[in-house]
Amino acid sequence: MPLLAKLLRSKITIWVLLVLPAIWALKPLFAPEPSDADPLKSTLLHLGLIACIVLVTVLTFTPLRVLWPKWGVAQALNRHRRLVGVGAFAYALLHFTAHLLHVYDGGFVTFWKEIQKPFQLIGLGALLILFVLTITSLHAAIRWMGGKAWKNLHRLAYVAAALAAWHQADARKIFPLQVVWIFGPLAVLEIARIWKQRVTASPPRGTTPAQTS
Amino acid sequence: MLIRTPPSWELPESAATPESVYLNRRALLKSLGCGAAALALAPHVLRATTAGFPTRVNPDYRDPALTPTSYEHITSYINFYEFGTDKASPKTNANKGWKTEPWTVEITGLINNPLKIDANDLVAKMGGAEQRVYRLRCVEAWSMVVPWDGFPLAKLIKLADPKPEAKFVTFSTFNPVGAPGYAGPALDWPYLEGLRLDEAMHDLSFIATGIYGKPIPNQNGAPLRLVVPWKYGFKYGKSIVKIDFVAKQPVNTWQAMQAREYGFYANVNPNVDHPRWTQASERVIGAGGAFGLRQKTLMFNGYEAQVAGLYKGMDLRRNY
Repeated sequence: MPLLAKLLRSKITIWVLLVLPAIWALKPLFAPEPSDADPLKSTLLHLGLIACIVLVTVLTFTPLRVLWPKWGVAQALNRHRRLVGVGAFAYALLHFTAHLLHVYDGGFVTFWKEIQKPFQLIGLGALLILFVLTITSLHAAIRWMGGKAWKNLHRLAYVAAALAAWHQADARKIFPLQVVWIFGPLAVLEIARIWKQRVTASPPRGTTPAQTS
Repeated sequence: MLIRTPPSWELPESAATPESVYLNRRALLKSLGCGAAALALAPHVLRATTAGFPTRVNPDYRDPALTPTSYEHITSYINFYEFGTDKASPKTNANKGWKTEPWTVEITGLINNPLKIDANDLVAKMGGAEQRVYRLRCVEAWSMVVPWDGFPLAKLIKLADPKPEAKFVTFSTFNPVGAPGYAGPALDWPYLEGLRLDEAMHDLSFIATGIYGKPIPNQNGAPLRLVVPWKYGFKYGKSIVKIDFVAKQPVNTWQAMQAREYGFYANVNPNVDHPRWTQASERVIGAGGAFGLRQKTLMFNGYEAQVAGLYKGMDLRRNY
């Protein structure tokens, strides 16, 4: 097995990859650059960016496996779907917490005024979806809900990604190309995956699904 | 035991550049006979509008209740989209060889005395520079306190001598395309801002040529920058090359980009929210560290007594 796939099979590698960006995100709070004149804001923005990237990353796992089923890296990554998915929620929650602190005015007047604005509601919607997916990520939840219902519920991850992309685009005064770099590759992979599944789902006449699987 | 906690903006005495060193810098470069080479090798020393320094403090515009933001923050945390759309880029990109001295500004339009003039000559004509400490409130809900050096805009307008049909003044920023450090298309260049003539004539309206008694750094809009402290920061047109007196209300750059979010007046108003956030409060840059609390935003950024009269009878909710 190639080294990369071997490394990615390990939970420790994934934990390290998930935790490292947090150091970058929190750095302004402890060692601000002059341009981090509002260090908490820098941290808030960094956390949101990481949340988007981690969410997109975990969503690429399935299409990677469908498109390249024999690729060791894709197989290795698919062992960690839950861990990385929960990681996306964790960063989104930290982002939200930083926002709470940032708008804290001795009370929550500012928070309450702002949370009603579409830009913030969209972000909150994504966070709530990730929260629901996180609490239903245990094996017990799959058994309790039944595989099919669970799968349908967890398809909401795509809605969360769409909301996150919208929220990120809306956060700037001018459309940030960053959104395209982050969410674009996922869109391409998903289209390729759907195309491939369509092709394989309509097998040639005379064969049964059991034979083709 | 009293342990004094220095506020974050405070610099040790040792960090201050001795005035003699500062004043002698250019003379020294010249005397070395390689001024151009020295400037090319050390782009970070490029600064503009050197006339009028040292400035005299104008005590009428120095509220003891205001604590100026650190020079480091004022000159590092910047919106100047010509040199990048994040806060950190302008400081780097505007100092990659972009020259702001010499600099010519054109004063034109519906006036009796149109002229093209060198920025340093203009400062001399305005009788030198004075220092005023103003609040600065960004539309993004953060604020600073800046000691600006420069001259009242009203003086320049008197020099221009507007004709009766002139009702507005526009301020055009230089066209950045091709300039060293230019970060690529973001807005419709050149950046344009405008004021009603009576706003421009107001005592508070100011043309900044310096910050903290030093020539204004490139990234802050050298060499000439509009300062209108009761309005949001995006009204403060930077690096002005043209001042045009016109009859009709101009469309400023941000209004053209996104009229729902940014208007022509852009007066600081805690009662009129931005579509994406509230303007009722603001984060004070450099105050209280990372977890500093927000402060309430004041009507007209604290200059209500001085400027409210300009907007009598106007619906400020519609004219945001």
